[in-house]
Amino acid sequence: MRSDGLLAALDRLGRYALPGSVLLFFVVLTLAPLRVPYLSETLPLLPVLVVFQFSLVTPERLPGPLLLAMGILLDLLLGGPGAPVGVSALGFVMIRAAVMANRRYLVGVPFLFQWIGFCLLSGAYVLIVWMLTALWTWTALEPGPAMIQYAVLIVIYPLLAPLLARVRARDPLNVPELSRGTARPGETTS
Amino acid sequence: MAIRDDFEVASGQVRVVLQRFALGLLVLVAFAAMLIGKADTVLVENARVLALDLASPALEAIARPVAAANRTIADLKEFASLREENARLREENSRLLSWQTAARRLENENDRLRELSQFREGPEASFITARIVGDSVSAYVRGALLNVGRKAGVTTGQAVVTGEGLAGRVAEVGDNSARVLFVTDVNSRLPVLVERTRERAILVGDNSPQLRLNLLQGVAGVQRGDRIVTSGDGGSFPVGIPIGEVVQSSEGHIRIRPFADFSRLEFVRVVNYGVTGLVTAPPSATPAAGTPTGQKVR
Repeated sequence: MRSDGLLAALDRLGRYALPGSVLLFFVVLTLAPLRVPYLSETLPLLPVLVVFQFSLVTPERLPGPLLLAMGILLDLLLGGPGAPVGVSALGFVMIRAAVMANRRYLVGVPFLFQWIGFCLLSGAYVLIVWMLTALWTWTALEPGPAMIQYAVLIVIYPLLAPLLARVRARDPLNVPELSRGTARPGETTS
Repeated sequence: MAIRDDFEVASGQVRVVLQRFALGLLVLVAFAAMLIGKADTVLVENARVLALDLASPALEAIARPVAAANRTIADLKEFASLREENARLREENSRLLSWQTAARRLENENDRLRELSQFREGPEASFITARIVGDSVSAYVRGALLNVGRKAGVTTGQAVVTGEGLAGRVAEVGDNSARVLFVTDVNSRLPVLVERTRERAILVGDNSPQLRLNLLQGVAGVQRGDRIVTSGDGGSFPVGIPIGEVVQSSEGHIRIRPFADFSRLEFVRVVNYGVTGLVTAPPSATPAAGTPTGQKVR
């Protein structure tokens, strides 16, 4: 490690804090009374999009424990008596793990493939949350609203994902090995 | 060389095991959080309230401009139909004026009859007006966040009403924030009356825009258009707050459309009804002889 000036240190700090801050913003935004039909109900799923996209482009800046904390915060804010606290946290951690395990198929490939990957993973997430919530509250939850949420979410993905992916484009070349090698098309990690 | 290769292989394996272990650990913690939430509801409640109190200033900052924008859009929409709206309102006004006369007459009559029979009504309700600063709406929750809390006198279990009718009840209270659970939430159960037949029933939410009515006696007698009001059973709600009307009534399946429009709530009133029933019993709420202090009794 070479010694840096104050500005460089600040720069690095900002860069490391950015994904977490964006995630926190989306978690708090969940409660914002936007009153836009369909979009308002989908807000609680947007953090999933953020988790997926950042796990893709910069997983080392979004460590598992942070995801755990954010998921629990989301569940606390979303509330509803009887709803399980920690189910979003479980989903976030699983998404990160799934993305990390399948980086080869998701990084450096055409956008369509990333979209398909996101559809699959977020679908699994919605299913897990639905099942656990139904189990926990022991009620037959109507799957309709969850399906609408999911549909809106995968439509939003192409609009939001490129924006979030720009976080990576500004990285200097000396980023940690983990994310550098995998970003190049055709290159493999092992 | 062989030893070094072995070492590298071994260290690689250890790293893999560690990584796998880390995921398992995180999953374990998530499940532990869920279990704790099930076992120790008080702890989770406190954590929720803390999170709400922390988030509510930020939300209030977001809510104001959003509300202003929404209002502007609504205003623009109304401009288009100003003339029709005026005519409709004039007609409604004349109709309401005749109702007002009827209501005055009935109120006088009621007062006189009450005096005759020495009837004592319950404590009078007062209101706390609140702004909705956050939506607590997902696929599984129907609720909202208010900018008033314990400091303003809000407690759990109080009724939350809009101009049109009942919206829900207060589920969690922080110092300066509170969470309302709408009547449409899947956890909502309300003792109600069918206004026309005085039949008692339980109103059940299921996260859909309409409500389900579970009758305690038979289904007979409930018709489309019947109004549903709170029954006051349990003591935390005043009697007779309108909730909704019956829109569908086939065998065993009665659906209610709530009067409150949950998609465009901005301000609500929290009903501070002297006796908060099972939730908390104020010391002065003994209904025995003598005038209870601090409460207005008619």
